[in-house]
Amino acid sequence: MKYFVTIDDRELEVTVEGDRVTVDGTVVRAELTAVPGTPLKQLTIDGKTLHWPMERAPDGGGGGRWVVAPLGESWDVEVLDERARHIRRLTGSGQRKSGENVLKAPMPGLVVRVEVEPGQAVVAGQGIVVLEAMKMENELRASAAATVAAVRVVPGATVEKGEVLVEYSLGPGA
Amino acid sequence: MRPVGRVLVANRGEIALRIIRACHEEGLEAVAVYSSVDRGAQHVAQADAAVAIGGAPAAESYLVIDRLIAAARSSGAELIHPGYGFLAERAEFADAVAAAGLGYVGPPASAIRAMGNKTEARRWMAEAGVPVVPGSDGPVHDPAEAQRVAQRIGYPVMVKAVAGGGGKGMRVVAGPEELAGALQAAASEAEKAFGDSSVYLEKFIERPRHVEIQILADEHRTIHLGERECSVQRRHQKLVEEAPSVAVSPELRAAMGKAAVAGALAVGYRGAGTCEFLLAADGSFYFLEMNTRIQVEHTVTEMVYGVDLVREQLRIARGQPMSVPSGPLAPHGWSIECRITSEDPSNEMLPSTGTVRYLRTPGGPGVRWDGAIQVGDEITLYYDSLLGKLIVWAPDREAALGRMRRALDELIVVGVATNQGFYRRLFQDEAFCRGDIDIQFLDRRQDLLAGVHDESLIVTVAVAAALAEDQARRSRAPTVGADGWRARKAWLQAARHEALR
Repeated sequence: MKYFVTIDDRELEVTVEGDRVTVDGTVVRAELTAVPGTPLKQLTIDGKTLHWPMERAPDGGGGGRWVVAPLGESWDVEVLDERARHIRRLTGSGQRKSGENVLKAPMPGLVVRVEVEPGQAVVAGQGIVVLEAMKMENELRASAAATVAAVRVVPGATVEKGEVLVEYSLGPGA
Repeated sequence: MRPVGRVLVANRGEIALRIIRACHEEGLEAVAVYSSVDRGAQHVAQADAAVAIGGAPAAESYLVIDRLIAAARSSGAELIHPGYGFLAERAEFADAVAAAGLGYVGPPASAIRAMGNKTEARRWMAEAGVPVVPGSDGPVHDPAEAQRVAQRIGYPVMVKAVAGGGGKGMRVVAGPEELAGALQAAASEAEKAFGDSSVYLEKFIERPRHVEIQILADEHRTIHLGERECSVQRRHQKLVEEAPSVAVSPELRAAMGKAAVAGALAVGYRGAGTCEFLLAADGSFYFLEMNTRIQVEHTVTEMVYGVDLVREQLRIARGQPMSVPSGPLAPHGWSIECRITSEDPSNEMLPSTGTVRYLRTPGGPGVRWDGAIQVGDEITLYYDSLLGKLIVWAPDREAALGRMRRALDELIVVGVATNQGFYRRLFQDEAFCRGDIDIQFLDRRQDLLAGVHDESLIVTVAVAAALAEDQARRSRAPTVGADGWRARKAWLQAARHEALR
């Protein structure tokens, strides 16, 4: 079976035929088994055995997305077969790169201060919301110039990771 | 031999376990305390008894003096060890322990008070002949006064909490326009962390090293156990500590040690303590603050001096002399510590939470893991992000660096993101490996902090993921599942899209 593996905007073509795996034309011998009682997989590749944390992405929404975490660094990997890749190309789905006009909480925490008001123009790098977690105050800043459309939290509120804190409208004075 | 006494350990996490271990080796029983979320924690299970002290927020448990005293009384403990953080540098706590007729593992409350107030500490040290950084000589009360002081000592200046520590309530200010904002931020953080919003100013010395001296004092002797270099810091939080320091000669060690001992004597110090200094490139050094407790990084001193600092604390608190031999002491070999924290490099090093689902700690020669996490532990936002300390010892720095690289490759934590990848990059970095570091090292080297994938692994990662997907598909029943439905829907959309062209 032929797969297209996307890692960090790079695409590799990987063909799996039993333990014979071809990566962009290079053949390796590889085998993957579970390590019982752990979230690890045992990968044997050209005689080298590795124990790596590896699981389906929790928000993968079905097939193809894996999180591989060797040596403490987490990799988001998408594995598509030819058909699914073709659909991707045609529908353009999966390209989620367009800038979101919201400030989201990068971690769970407590809102200490909101430093902007609706209607206010902000510049890139300007402090927007101060969030406290693990006893440290973290100032969340604007990534680009924008106008604050709405503030969705108040000081004292507890927020979850990914929760929208502030909405922007495009560009300053928009 | 039956244990002769009990020690209440007024802390949690790795330091609680460290103290419990020291108690057991000293033939003492240890009593743990725990908040509602720490019921299943390792420090509770390793202690001889454990007492519930309240809710998850530290303000409802580990910071409530009355409950800790009551726990000591109800469990029959004669000594209280505060660890670090929480109540460890609160003179009221030491007072309350004494008032309850219990022993405090630490210095007298008067020494905590003298050093806990940073402006007073500077005065004490200056009087003892220890060099200090120029500053406001007291709290600043309003922005106008702060502006005047800053003009006098010259920018950049540092705003610091009078009652501060651990990087909380600290801000560097490059010019007058930033001063008011920094004052407000530091004061607000200080109020929350220490219940005291007063701040002071001092001259910010560019590119100094952070070098600190370990002190140990009993009824008869006050000695130093050399330096630790803790220059690799992020937002004033130490990330790597080593002993000795590449920047400290035996002569400089003697001079800094002498200054630290003079400071400790000036305040009548007892037990283990640390004098922190800024070390400038020209070898001049300035007193920063004295930490009147055991430090997180005490381990590297233990490794190179062959001393168990926590056991010495317990001996001194029981009125026994320290067991460190008198006469000249010198560090033997090299030790390095990495603080493994639940901070996520792929998310700007912000705290990450979750349940530990798998843990493999490094081992083998010269490797020490001081941690308290175990599989099943929930890493919450209630406490600090330290998961464990990875410490190595080797005959020299080069060998210690290599040993740390090896140990870092052995560590596996699943369930919560950690800064392990940052350390792997740092220990490959040429400047760091040369010892060419100062406290702004990581400010300049943000590239080391960002989550970067090791390019050499990309093919292996791709093979692993493709095999995993292939297996998952083979084991799945060939009926139409959610994926198939979604794919069909996408085919339909694609067909419509084509038809409308």
